[in-house]
Amino acid sequence: MGAVLALAVRDLRGVLRSRSQLYSSMLTPLLILLFLGTGVSHGLEPANLPAGDFTAYLVAGVVVMTSVFSSTFSSASYYRDRDTGMLRALLVTPRHPRAIVLGKSLAGVAIGSLQAMVVLALAAPFSDLGWQYGYVRGALLALGVVVALNLLLGGLAQALATRIQTMQGFHLVMNLALFPLLFFSGAFFPIRDLPVWLEGLALANPLTYAVDALHVAVYANDSSEFLGLWIDLPVIGGLAVAAYAAGLARMPRPTWSGR
Amino acid sequence: MRANAQAPAVEARGVVFAYGGRRALDGLTLEVPRGSIFGLLGPNGSGKSTFLSLVAEMRPPPEGSLRVLGEPPRRALRRRVGVVFQENSLDPLMTPREVLGLFARLYGLRKEEARDRAERLLAAVGLAERADDRIDTLSGGMRRRLEAARALLHEPDLLVLDEPTTGVDAAERQAFWALALEARERGTTVLFATNDLAEADAVCELAAFVRDGRVVACGTPAELKRGLRGETVVVDWRDPSEEELAALGALPEAGEVVRDGDTVRVSTDDASVLVPKLFALAGRRITSVQIHPTTLADAYFAHVGGRVREREGIG
Repeated sequence: MGAVLALAVRDLRGVLRSRSQLYSSMLTPLLILLFLGTGVSHGLEPANLPAGDFTAYLVAGVVVMTSVFSSTFSSASYYRDRDTGMLRALLVTPRHPRAIVLGKSLAGVAIGSLQAMVVLALAAPFSDLGWQYGYVRGALLALGVVVALNLLLGGLAQALATRIQTMQGFHLVMNLALFPLLFFSGAFFPIRDLPVWLEGLALANPLTYAVDALHVAVYANDSSEFLGLWIDLPVIGGLAVAAYAAGLARMPRPTWSGR
Repeated sequence: MRANAQAPAVEARGVVFAYGGRRALDGLTLEVPRGSIFGLLGPNGSGKSTFLSLVAEMRPPPEGSLRVLGEPPRRALRRRVGVVFQENSLDPLMTPREVLGLFARLYGLRKEEARDRAERLLAAVGLAERADDRIDTLSGGMRRRLEAARALLHEPDLLVLDEPTTGVDAAERQAFWALALEARERGTTVLFATNDLAEADAVCELAAFVRDGRVVACGTPAELKRGLRGETVVVDWRDPSEEELAALGALPEAGEVVRDGDTVRVSTDDASVLVPKLFALAGRRITSVQIHPTTLADAYFAHVGGRVREREGIG
């Protein structure tokens, strides 16, 4: 376990030294919250929101978006290790390749969860959030959801990174897969009034359950307008375990030349 | 005392390995004695690096047998092997001290032991002053020395070096080999691949010439040179015909004749007698003549032929 932690610490340190990666994952969601939230709240005055204003409604979505960005950026460490030859050096040590993957992905989960919670902490004072369970329990619930979401996204990113040869290709696939999922997750508008076919798509979307759980934890005054934690938590938890296991199942195996 | 302490450091018998349909190793047989400095020499694509990868990664070959430090390949044996790759394999965002700290954990060293060895090695490779600088600020030579330090950190019994001095200047090359030779003084076996014949001639005690995935000759440099005459004449000769080369080979002063394009190498016991006869044969089509004592490079060309980089010395 010491080796896994040493690898995780090393990756965390790498993210802290790569400032652009550290800040950009949080900045874009915060800008969306600031401009889209403020603009829509003042310009369109949507009336169908379960509670609070549109800016408050968006908070759960931007927290999920931060995790999506972060997990995508975290994969950069895998490609950097492969391209600098570091992965090759790690793979000739006595450690099992799974320990190496585990250390790297734990760092990704930690940094993604931290960034998402920082975004929540920055957005909360300026948003009309309901906090139906109180601040502490609501924040702990949000933390649990965020960690599960990052496990899910980290597992998915890891599974893809070991299969896709180039970082450009990886980012393309992640963007193609995750952005549509983000749009139909309830992050930007409630899903309950959507046409049936679109609502069906939204219910098949794993991100929907993370957004819903975060809405329940921090945005809502009561849970009646939402899917509810009793369905959100088992779905997001189960998918997190499955995706993380899938990510760890695929072992990196670069050739001697490092490719 | 470890089990099999007297067994060869590496023992390969009829090893076959293929990438898809292409055989990179085609029945390679080799024995690397403990404590030796053993060079694998061969052109690019001859199978040297593939063989080293099997040894370093502890991969059992699909055909043939491989034993490392007296045992069949298994992951735990990696603890006793240090590796330096041909290309850099360092994270540019880390510092030298962090690299050694991380790899000490991965090789299972205790904390104090890891710290002591890291400090000692950083001093030995001349990086103590730069131990906390990011690797992307170090020169290429410094990175190479750091990689050597990383490979030696866990005091391996076998050091595997894949063309370790490619792209490194003469002074850094000398510093790198000094480290490897020091390790060898402590009993570490050094197995390295190179296509730099002058470097191999200066460093290795034993060498194997590899071609098309097989060992075509193996022994000490003196054994490999045996049979060749004392001097080699290297001639740049424009368009020599087969008849002319046959006539050259028939001269009593000429030994082995090897042609590589417009370069012809002839071993001889007396260049002063041979060279005038060469000019009589080829006339003005000879553009240059070099005479030097027979080297490992001459032995290589005699056994393998083909093009391999040659330099004046290892610096």
